[in-house]
Amino acid sequence: MQTDISILIGGQAGQGIQTVGELLARMCQQAGLSVFAVNDFESRIRGGHSFFQLRISERRIQAPSRHIHLLVAMSGETHALHRQKLVEGGICLIDSAEDGAGEGAVAVPVTQLATEAGGKIMANTVAAGACLGLLGAPFEQFQAIITDRFSGADANVRENNLDAARAGYRAVASINFQWKPVWRDMSSEGMLMNGARALALGALAADCRIGAFYPMSPATGIMQQLSELSDTYPLVVEQAEDEIAAINMTIGAAFAGVRAMTATSGGGFCLMTEGLGLAAITETPVVIVNAQRPGPATGLPTRTAQGDLLFVINAAQDEFPRFVFAPTGMDDAYAVMIRAFDLSEKYQVPAIVMTDQYFNDSFALTDGPFDAPHGHDRYTVSDADMADPSAYKRYAFTGNGISPRALPCNGQALVCAAGNEHRQDGHISEDREDRNAMVEKRSAKLSAMQSEMRPPAAYHVDGSRTLLVSWGSTAGAVQEAVSRLRDAGEDAGCLVMADIWPFPAAAFQEVARGADTLITVEQNATAQLGRLIRQETGMPVAHSILQYDGRAFCVEDIVDQYHQLN
Amino acid sequence: MTDITDFDCDYENKWCPGCGNFNILAAMKEALAGMKLSPENVLIVSGIGQAGKTPHFLKCNFFHGLHGRALPVATGAKLANHKLTVLVSSGDGDCYGEGGNHFLAAVRRNIDITLLTHDNKVYGLTKGQSSPTSDMGFVTKMQRSGVISEPFNPLSVALSLGAGFVARGFSGEKAHLAGLIRAAVSHKGFSLVNILQPCVSFNHLNTNGWYKKRVVKVAETGHDPADWNTAMHLSREWGDRIPIGIFFQKQGPSFTDRIAHLNEGPLVERTYDSAAVQAMLNGI
Repeated sequence: MQTDISILIGGQAGQGIQTVGELLARMCQQAGLSVFAVNDFESRIRGGHSFFQLRISERRIQAPSRHIHLLVAMSGETHALHRQKLVEGGICLIDSAEDGAGEGAVAVPVTQLATEAGGKIMANTVAAGACLGLLGAPFEQFQAIITDRFSGADANVRENNLDAARAGYRAVASINFQWKPVWRDMSSEGMLMNGARALALGALAADCRIGAFYPMSPATGIMQQLSELSDTYPLVVEQAEDEIAAINMTIGAAFAGVRAMTATSGGGFCLMTEGLGLAAITETPVVIVNAQRPGPATGLPTRTAQGDLLFVINAAQDEFPRFVFAPTGMDDAYAVMIRAFDLSEKYQVPAIVMTDQYFNDSFALTDGPFDAPHGHDRYTVSDADMADPSAYKRYAFTGNGISPRALPCNGQALVCAAGNEHRQDGHISEDREDRNAMVEKRSAKLSAMQSEMRPPAAYHVDGSRTLLVSWGSTAGAVQEAVSRLRDAGEDAGCLVMADIWPFPAAAFQEVARGADTLITVEQNATAQLGRLIRQETGMPVAHSILQYDGRAFCVEDIVDQYHQLN
Repeated sequence: MTDITDFDCDYENKWCPGCGNFNILAAMKEALAGMKLSPENVLIVSGIGQAGKTPHFLKCNFFHGLHGRALPVATGAKLANHKLTVLVSSGDGDCYGEGGNHFLAAVRRNIDITLLTHDNKVYGLTKGQSSPTSDMGFVTKMQRSGVISEPFNPLSVALSLGAGFVARGFSGEKAHLAGLIRAAVSHKGFSLVNILQPCVSFNHLNTNGWYKKRVVKVAETGHDPADWNTAMHLSREWGDRIPIGIFFQKQGPSFTDRIAHLNEGPLVERTYDSAAVQAMLNGI
């Protein structure tokens, strides 16, 4: 029997909950286990209640589960909020110093042990030791991870943390926890990372050299990761004065010839929309990540949503082609970033990558190592490619809508770009013929862009009469829900969309044609993907499984809602 | 050898006859040609307004973007390729109204670009509303009882933020203005030339004649551009005597000088290095 357990470690912001969680996740990864972890926190720096929910299994897992086997309460509130999620036989550990000890919870003197080890700040390390003790993990392996984690710190800090972990480990020696995974002396194949990191690594591998951003949860992590990469790799991350500056800097950098990106959340994306249109009319390739959170306005800053789909597809005034992608997992995020930069330059259009708080802040294992592309086609021209560089026209008509793109101050060819409607040479024009020709030139790219889109990934589609259809980050939860539904005898498969716009209508119809019931699974209230499918394919969408409370789908949420539909 | 006429462009000019912009355009050409720059070596970024149209009337590489957003576009371009000679052609509404935050940030960064602000103290393209630099009491069709806010003082603000080159020109003093623009483009770091100009269509207060009677060249009064305190004092003078010239200049490391990666050459010249990226990916 394979282990499949979830640990929830909760407490106040500032108690180092995330550090414990990451240490445990790292331990699991290095012992050959699969892990998936969600990070749940409030929009505050200290206090409140936050938790890290870690799911562990010997088999590959890609989504959170609702059921908790081990609850670690660093504050009494954790116990009160989450004890109803404990499965039969599950254990709640609570710090003896907190209220709630004795109400079905096992009290462990976490704070006291931390103080004895050198300071109560290490309560989180004590808790990590206790978790591993209950799970029967070999302590030596954890010792190596702690040593590595505190390698940059003072030797005393390292030793104290080791003492704290050991104290926690020993404190639970007499407690019997019935689920113990198989700890192996070998790492899992994949790398452990969160979505923000996968996106930043994708940008690096895409040869992105400039990132301009304004801090906004949950997008900041992406740029922070990119900034860390810039310590050792020649790329520049600039914190702009606002999101409007961020998108315009990105456009300026791309115009001058480097690959550039920005990342934000819905509110910041709203501020960027005029810039999005500027990138479109000047045909400047840019990549924008919109890490979604619930809105409108400030909404729920640290929580998750998929409410911006139709907004992003239609953002900015008037009409123009754009790419929209929504990565379905860590490996896909890496690959999507590389494709977004490539396709944006190939077609000279903006590319938008949609993620969300759940994806950016969740930790998972990749399928394997990431391979750097061998090279990148940059789709630019210089004087040497031209018969007469002085006759160069930035927006020359070519038939397919894609004009040869030269870079400014790179030869005799003058590069003239305007956000006003313009002639082929980039100068302003209000002539009817120029306007029509330019609209048609930009639109002409659409059919080729559509042919670049990958069809939805299909799971158990053949012969299934019911298909769940999801987009982006919920892919893992939907796939596992389908597996469980099938195990329970349901006739269901799923389609997982990562390439959203231009909508791959023909490919969608092809893969979905055998089904008679489509059910979208989305983290919004109005089934935006459902509307898009109807609009683009004419296919009916019978139902939608929706969640818009700001919390990520657990596998069970989808299974339960599915059953309620019938 | 470059000649002023090298910058001539056959695209039809769309400014009002008599506009101060014509002299600004001529001064720009004179300055650029005088520096032996040629059109293919110059990038002009502009926003919206009559000043925003400038690069269409002068042969160069240009990016004519959104209202108020020329500075961030120019900053991005300069980050990508810090060898570029970048000028920004903006106006009082574009730069100090819509783009005010970018103005503050550009000064603070000391990004090596030259900002030429056509300051006619009125919105021309939208036909005559007050601008951030309009004098108190200035009556328009929109501000029917006159402007009731204090005017924005770009020179004082730039000086207070530590700008390294702060100058004021006047379109009616073309040769003097060309000298300012040349000095500004030569300056390594952010340079501001706020250019007073009449708007023949919508500003009947600050006319060419009104300015002619008032402007005083600070160089002729013995002003030392290294003297910040006097520069600040000059920036606040307005009325019967309006100082023009270089108020303040001080060299210092520019924004791109402070980025270690850029010391090895412009980012745009870096070619993708698959092995280096793979090493980064393996190091996780």
